[in-house]
Amino acid sequence: MSLHNRIAVFRAERGISRRQLAEVVGVNPQTIGYLERGDYQPSLELALKIARHFGVAVEMIFSLDRFAMTFGRTGEGE
Amino acid sequence: MKSSHGSILSRLDDAVRWTGIPARVADALSDDPSVDRKHQPLRWVPLLVIAVSCLQLVVCLIWPLEMDRISLGAAVSIMTGMMVSIMTGVLVVYTSGPLGKPSREDDEREAALRKDSFLFCLGLLAGLNGLGQPILLIMSHWQNWQTGHSAIVVVCALILNANLLGTLPTLYASWNFRQLPKE
Repeated sequence: MSLHNRIAVFRAERGISRRQLAEVVGVNPQTIGYLERGDYQPSLELALKIARHFGVAVEMIFSLDRFAMTFGRTGEGE
Repeated sequence: MKSSHGSILSRLDDAVRWTGIPARVADALSDDPSVDRKHQPLRWVPLLVIAVSCLQLVVCLIWPLEMDRISLGAAVSIMTGMMVSIMTGVLVVYTSGPLGKPSREDDEREAALRKDSFLFCLGLLAGLNGLGQPILLIMSHWQNWQTGHSAIVVVCALILNANLLGTLPTLYASWNFRQLPKE
């Protein structure tokens, strides 16, 4: 089962680099890259840490279904 | 004449660049080096080390050392030299590869990769040993191996096992490595 995520979208929106996000959540920057590409599925702990960093619910970033295209600021009014 | 010199020099430059060493040196000296600069994927070097070790076993199987013609000291010296050279290669491969850094520094993806790499390695080793041991037993029975020949084959098989244990995880992790685009 594949897990879809919007880490790259949130990161781009907030102007955070992979390295900065990696330092905050305590992983290697490459791991963030692998996560964004869908090559690695995070643990629940890491998913929660990422969601907490962006200040949104974990379902806003990770989903079992593909994310629909959204317009406007991600994480607001959804 | 000048153009042929230029051509040779440019080919030499290309050959040096092909080794990847200039890129690694530039990365090591840059202000913003890549995180895994010391632990690059090694796809072909471990295969070379494994091939040398396999060749050593095959040579021992095909051309047994005639123990009555050489002294025990010479045989032990030859085997020790081969063992040290191969195990040095294994050590270099392991420490420079993607699994070379201490495991306590791994994040969860790297820990999972390390676990998968060693599981793959141990599974393959179990399979190879399960298959190889009966084959060696049958060969020793059919060809009436002398004790010295059996001992050398056993040592070669042991070196190959240690070699595979050291290089297969690196090989697995390296082939699973995918280059990420720069930000």
